[in-house]
Amino acid sequence: MAHLYLLSIFLSLLLSISPSLSSNSEGNALHALRSRLSDPTNALQSWDPALVNPCTWFHVVCDSNNHVTRLDLGNSNISGTLGPELGQLKHLKYLELYRNDIGGKIPKELGNLKNLVSMDMYGNRFEGEIPKSFAKLKSLIFLRLNNNKLSGSIPRELTTLKELKVFDVSNNDLCGTIPVDGPFASFPMESFVNNRLNGPELKGLVPYDFGC
Amino acid sequence: MGSTDQMCNLVLFLAILHSVLAVSLDDDNSAESYSLLRFKSGLVDPVGALDNWSPRAHMCSWNGLTCSPNQTHVLGINLSSSELSGSISHELWHLTSLEILDLSSNSLVGSIPSELGKLQNLQMLLLYGNSLSGKIPEEIGLLKNLQVLRIGDNLLSGEITPSIGNLTQLRVLGLAYCQFNGSIPSGIGNLKHLVFLDLQNNSLDGHIPEEIHGCEELQNLAASNNKLEGDIPASMGVLRSLQILNLANNSLSGSIPVELGQISNLKYLSLLGNRLSGQIPSQLNQLVQLETLDLSVNNFSGAISLFNAQMKNLRTLVLSGNDLTGNIPSNFCLSNSSKLQQLFLARNSLSGKFQLDLLNCRSLQQLDLSDNNFEGGLPSGLEKLEHLTDLQLNNNSFSGNLPSEIGNMSNLESLILFDNMITGRLPPEIGKLQRLSTIYLYDNQMSGGIPRELTNCTSLTKIDFFGNHFTGSIPATIGKLKNLNVLQLRQNDLSGPIPPSLGYCKRLQIMALADNKISGTLPATFRFLTELNKITLYNNSFEGPLPASLFLLKNLNIINFSHNRFSGSISPLLGSNSLTALDLTNNSFSGPIPSALTQSRNLSRLRLAHNHLSGEIPSEFGSLTKLNFFDLSFNNLTGEVPPQLSNCKKIQHFLLNNNQLTGTMPPWLGRLEELGELDFSFNEFHGNIPAELGNCSGLLKLSLQSNKLSGNIPQEIGNLTSLNVLNLQRNNLSGLIPSTIQECKKIFELRLSENFLTGSIPPELGKLTELQVILDLSENSLSGEIPSSLGNLMKLERLNLSLNHLQGEVPFSLTKLTSLDMLNLSNNDLQGQLPSTFSRFPLSSFLGNDKLCGPPLVSCLESAGQDNKGLSNTAVVGIIVAIVFTSTLICLVMLYMIVRIWYNWRKVSISSMGGGGTEQRREEEKWEYGNKEKRRNGEYWKVNSMASVPSQDKQNPSTCIFHFKMDAEITGNTLV
Repeated sequence: MAHLYLLSIFLSLLLSISPSLSSNSEGNALHALRSRLSDPTNALQSWDPALVNPCTWFHVVCDSNNHVTRLDLGNSNISGTLGPELGQLKHLKYLELYRNDIGGKIPKELGNLKNLVSMDMYGNRFEGEIPKSFAKLKSLIFLRLNNNKLSGSIPRELTTLKELKVFDVSNNDLCGTIPVDGPFASFPMESFVNNRLNGPELKGLVPYDFGC
Repeated sequence: MGSTDQMCNLVLFLAILHSVLAVSLDDDNSAESYSLLRFKSGLVDPVGALDNWSPRAHMCSWNGLTCSPNQTHVLGINLSSSELSGSISHELWHLTSLEILDLSSNSLVGSIPSELGKLQNLQMLLLYGNSLSGKIPEEIGLLKNLQVLRIGDNLLSGEITPSIGNLTQLRVLGLAYCQFNGSIPSGIGNLKHLVFLDLQNNSLDGHIPEEIHGCEELQNLAASNNKLEGDIPASMGVLRSLQILNLANNSLSGSIPVELGQISNLKYLSLLGNRLSGQIPSQLNQLVQLETLDLSVNNFSGAISLFNAQMKNLRTLVLSGNDLTGNIPSNFCLSNSSKLQQLFLARNSLSGKFQLDLLNCRSLQQLDLSDNNFEGGLPSGLEKLEHLTDLQLNNNSFSGNLPSEIGNMSNLESLILFDNMITGRLPPEIGKLQRLSTIYLYDNQMSGGIPRELTNCTSLTKIDFFGNHFTGSIPATIGKLKNLNVLQLRQNDLSGPIPPSLGYCKRLQIMALADNKISGTLPATFRFLTELNKITLYNNSFEGPLPASLFLLKNLNIINFSHNRFSGSISPLLGSNSLTALDLTNNSFSGPIPSALTQSRNLSRLRLAHNHLSGEIPSEFGSLTKLNFFDLSFNNLTGEVPPQLSNCKKIQHFLLNNNQLTGTMPPWLGRLEELGELDFSFNEFHGNIPAELGNCSGLLKLSLQSNKLSGNIPQEIGNLTSLNVLNLQRNNLSGLIPSTIQECKKIFELRLSENFLTGSIPPELGKLTELQVILDLSENSLSGEIPSSLGNLMKLERLNLSLNHLQGEVPFSLTKLTSLDMLNLSNNDLQGQLPSTFSRFPLSSFLGNDKLCGPPLVSCLESAGQDNKGLSNTAVVGIIVAIVFTSTLICLVMLYMIVRIWYNWRKVSISSMGGGGTEQRREEEKWEYGNKEKRRNGEYWKVNSMASVPSQDKQNPSTCIFHFKMDAEITGNTLV
């Protein structure tokens, strides 16, 4: 009996290894995302991991090389959390997850999305800090994180994002002071309201995370 | 009290009297035979096992009975495996001498009668393998002489009666495969003579009772597949006779008590699938009799401290699915003495190089180190493991070449190395592996040719080389692999034609050659691949017509030949009537779409886009009721959309764009409830947009661009509440833009340009706050003022209202459009002063509005004084020139330098943005975005670097620079 048991373990191990017929990293990353999300309205029903690539899935847009460039899941009634695998979508330009019920921390791996132009995560329940790794998003123009539960200070590293044109973190639980360097020189105050922020940074006078 | 007893006695007496009288006519007049006949009458006996149980024969001659030497009492009943059903009669209690009752492996139902408790002489009760239900009767505890109780594999439920602790003579207790719940009774510890305890596959919870240490003679304890929780009692260490301990698949927690190391007779220990944690105690090494140790799927951490060198009898060690770290310890095996046959360490966090001491485990047959962090090369001494049949090293970081000595591992059956960083060639010596059945090398960096010798491995059933850099052609001798099931060579650099001998791999079910550079035509020998189920050849350089004999492949399920240069008819692919997916996108197939395609009633994905298919869409497609992805775009199809397609209720993607289809848009489209994407663009459809489309509430993308659609945009468009993209560009639509469009709250791309739309822009458009990609209303006949509500479109990146008849001033609210990258208000009747921040847009954004002024157009003061705009611009240049000439030489030099810096910087603009868009980018967008040259075109505007200009102004608030910037702008734009 004992040996039978063991044999069955081994067989199941072998069965778990099947030929790589569906191997595609971006599709796998999106499928991993799906497994973290609850999707009561079946917005992700078409996400079939058996397909060669995710380019015919709804809410996913690819370029001519079958790389995912847009993920449009705004207003989709989804909840759950994000995971590190989203950082594998290296060609992503638009990450649109706004107005859902997604919680947990924003994965620092999103900083790997070097081609990202727009990240719209407003209107969710994200908590924790804004990842410092966002400073690596050199193509980023639009970053809207408003109406979440983000805390901590605004990472100073974001002042190096030369292309950043829209930055909205209003209605969160951020603390410290507001950066004034780089693109932050031109963001309106509305982008920062309803936090625990202490006004613009006064360099050398108070630490940037004063009051955190 | 006394009267009750008397009453009972009387009843008993009457009952006995009755039974004696009832059988008095028979040869045997004993109460025993009577109750046996009562027992028989409760049973259903389809095979006649009880046929000779008749009053005419002496009961001791009845089948299955054992009598006492004097033939007066029944001592044993054995009716095991007699296909009996029915229930167990409570009358059996009359057999007071009964020692053995074996009714196992029948189909008995009902409960275990509590009267069995009266069988005081019973030693063995075997009821396992029936469908008995209910609880174990408490009275079972009265059977003081019971030695064997096996009642498992039934539907028994409830708690295990604590009275079981009274059965002090019990040696075997089998309660497995029932539905018992509650906890293991602590009285079990009273069973001093218990040897065998089987509680597997119930729903027992609670702790393992500490008292179990009382079962001193216990040899086999199996309680796997329950819900036991808490710690493993350390007191179990005293169970010195224990040989088998199986607690797998419970919820036990804590660490393994070191005392388990004292169970010196233990041969089998499984704690698989619990929540145990901490280090694996090195005391387990004392278990020198142990043959099988399975601690997999727990939370054990730390280094492996177990040594086969000490547990000399170990055959199987399974530690997979924990969080073990470090490497396999050196001296793990001692050469010559090791009996270890199976070593499974998969799914841990083990690291380091391949432990060379493993090569001392000479008896190893199966080695699984998959899903760890091992690195470095594979040792050349691997062939010392001469008994190895399965080598599984996938999902690690092994690097270097595959050593050629692998060819000496003559027993090897499966070689699983996928997802590593193995480089170099596949050694030709691989061809010596006559037993090799499975070789998975996918997701590595291997290169060179696929050696011809591989085709000597005639046992091969599965080859998967996906995602390497293999070059050259598929070996011409591949036809020798008569057992091959799976050939997966996708994503390599293979070239040359397919060798005709591949057609002789007649067992082939899956052939995946996609993403290579394979060329030529398909060999006619493919007609022999009659078991072929899935064939994917996409992204190669195949060409020519398909061999007509492919029609013989009747088992094809999935075909993907997309992105090649196949030509001719697609008919040869339609021999199978079990196709589920056919993708021939981007080839040169021609001729009509054969209606034979519709014989595959389960077809769900049909993609024939980008070919030269002509003729009409066959009306027979209406029978494809499972059709989900229907893409005939970019062909030369003509005629109307057949009304039979309205039966294809499962269609989600309906793509007929870029054909020459005619007729009207069918209203039945509104009945396709699953529709998510509808693209009929670039055809010749005419007539109205059917209002019924509004029923497709799941529609995400609707594109009807470049047809001849006329009439109004239906109000019902507002019912499409899921809509993301709406493109009605370039039609003959007229009337007003329906204000119901405000209900399309999820829309992020809206194009209504190049129509004959009239009236004013509905202010409700300002509610579409998710608009992002574009709002394009250009080239219509829209009039009235630009609604100030458009200033709410905070995410909008492009706004085109050009070539209309819009009047009034540009609302100041548009300055709130901070995301706006491109703005075109040109060629309208706008007037007044532009908001000052609009100077960041190029001149061309505003041209053709005679009464509009302010930067980047001429300043409003000048436009008021001058009629001719061209002249006023000349005047500006003159003024600037005058300023420059009256400045000092130093100021001039400074200006020049700063402008050079600015101009260079400006070249590095954000033109790289805006790639998103749609799958097939329209030609016109190619120059609009992503083109650093930023070529000008009269219809569209210039890509500008407005992302930076304002902030630069802010940081360098020098009026000199501002003036010179104006100058550069004007001289740069030769339009003026």
